[in-house]
Amino acid sequence: MTRPLLDIDDLYKSYGSEDVLEGVDLEMDRGDVTVLIGPSGSGKSTLLRCVNQLTDIDSGTVALDGTDVTRPEADVNELRKQVGMVFQDFNLFAHLTALGNVTLGPRKVLGMDADEARERGREHLEQVGLLDQADSYPAELSGGQQQRVGIARALAMDPELLLFDEPTSALDPELVGEVVDVMRDLADRGITMLVVSHEMGFARSAASDIVFLDDGEIVEHGPPEQLFETPEADRTREFLGRLQTEHEGTP
Amino acid sequence: MTPTLLQAADWLFVADNLGLLLRGTAVTVALTAASILLGFVVGFPAGALEVYGSGLPKRAVERAGVVLRGTPLLVIIMMLYFVVSVSDSAFATATAALGLRSAAYQTQIFRGALQSVDEGQLEAARAVAMSRFEAIRHVVVPQALRRSVPGFQNEFTIVLKDTSIAIVIGIGELLTTGQNLYEGGRSTAALEIFLAVSLIYFVLTFATNRSLDRLSDRYAVPEGTA
Repeated sequence: MTRPLLDIDDLYKSYGSEDVLEGVDLEMDRGDVTVLIGPSGSGKSTLLRCVNQLTDIDSGTVALDGTDVTRPEADVNELRKQVGMVFQDFNLFAHLTALGNVTLGPRKVLGMDADEARERGREHLEQVGLLDQADSYPAELSGGQQQRVGIARALAMDPELLLFDEPTSALDPELVGEVVDVMRDLADRGITMLVVSHEMGFARSAASDIVFLDDGEIVEHGPPEQLFETPEADRTREFLGRLQTEHEGTP
Repeated sequence: MTPTLLQAADWLFVADNLGLLLRGTAVTVALTAASILLGFVVGFPAGALEVYGSGLPKRAVERAGVVLRGTPLLVIIMMLYFVVSVSDSAFATATAALGLRSAAYQTQIFRGALQSVDEGQLEAARAVAMSRFEAIRHVVVPQALRRSVPGFQNEFTIVLKDTSIAIVIGIGELLTTGQNLYEGGRSTAALEIFLAVSLIYFVLTFATNRSLDRLSDRYAVPEGTA
């Protein structure tokens, strides 16, 4: 058996007296697209941030390709070279053009020379359909375009795993589609993705696994058809029902 | 005799001594440049320390700033010259006094500018595997420097005009030169001399502020919803 790309084992995290993650176990193989769903405050984003150590864990382990990345002597920047992240609020570098955003990491972190970084950066912008906006600054782009630049920026580091933290939550409804299309394209190309999102269209069509998280615990974990059509736990059913009502409620 | 009236002869006296006034102006410019530079070299890292530092260094910088900002410049300059005697050179002493005082204010300018850059960008830089230092240097500092220009323009104007306080330790800067002219030369020309001196200060501050505006426009980046 091949070892999993990501192996989270018995992960605990609390903020003060508030327990956010209470013993989470999760494995992902290369090429998996895992979508994390759950009510707000259930710990989805925290779990994601524990993977690339933007948040410290309290106990348990996170292993990437067999290497425990949470042990004290582990080099967090070596880990982050292999794990890209896309943020809810895009967090683009405001003083750099789209191309500048995409090339900064490769140049400063991977030591790529400027010409090569630009050439590859253009390829990544093309992948997200934004080559024509290479010289635009973030403030000149729509939210959907900014998020696609955010995805290209993460891709430019050539990561093993891409994390998406509610990538469409800050977008106007009419801009969600262009970002979801890019994500679906990445999934089709076999990129390993761990996604926090309630975009059910994406979850149904692109995910290999759905994980339902509630109160810091994984309540249910399975392929989309199973989890959405025949959920086992009451909590899952209740949550999915609420989600559906909300979606039907909005025109 | 009404010595305060503007007189053609007094203006001629000013014109005849324009060379002296310009020499004083050169000292003023040099004193300003040296003080602003010292203020920047000390103030920028101190601002960064106030934002990103911790423990003793941060507290030391904060307290030094409180003391310097709470002491009149005239007191600082006289202390350094007559009490502490940091240097035999009046110019070096004035530079130290103006520079340290400016450092305390520039610290606040840069602290505010650094804090104004959204935390999420720092996090995004960390997520592409930059160290904290690299992230601050490549992402936060370039934006903070742009945002510090208006505050820096104020500070520059204040330091330029406050160089006149160096008159108390006898530096031949612009105001001292003007004073020497009417005390040692022509007492009726005081008004004309002060007007000329004021005009020179104004031209210097105006020209520099305009240049900084240009610099700021040139490196401006579209800002907005991001």
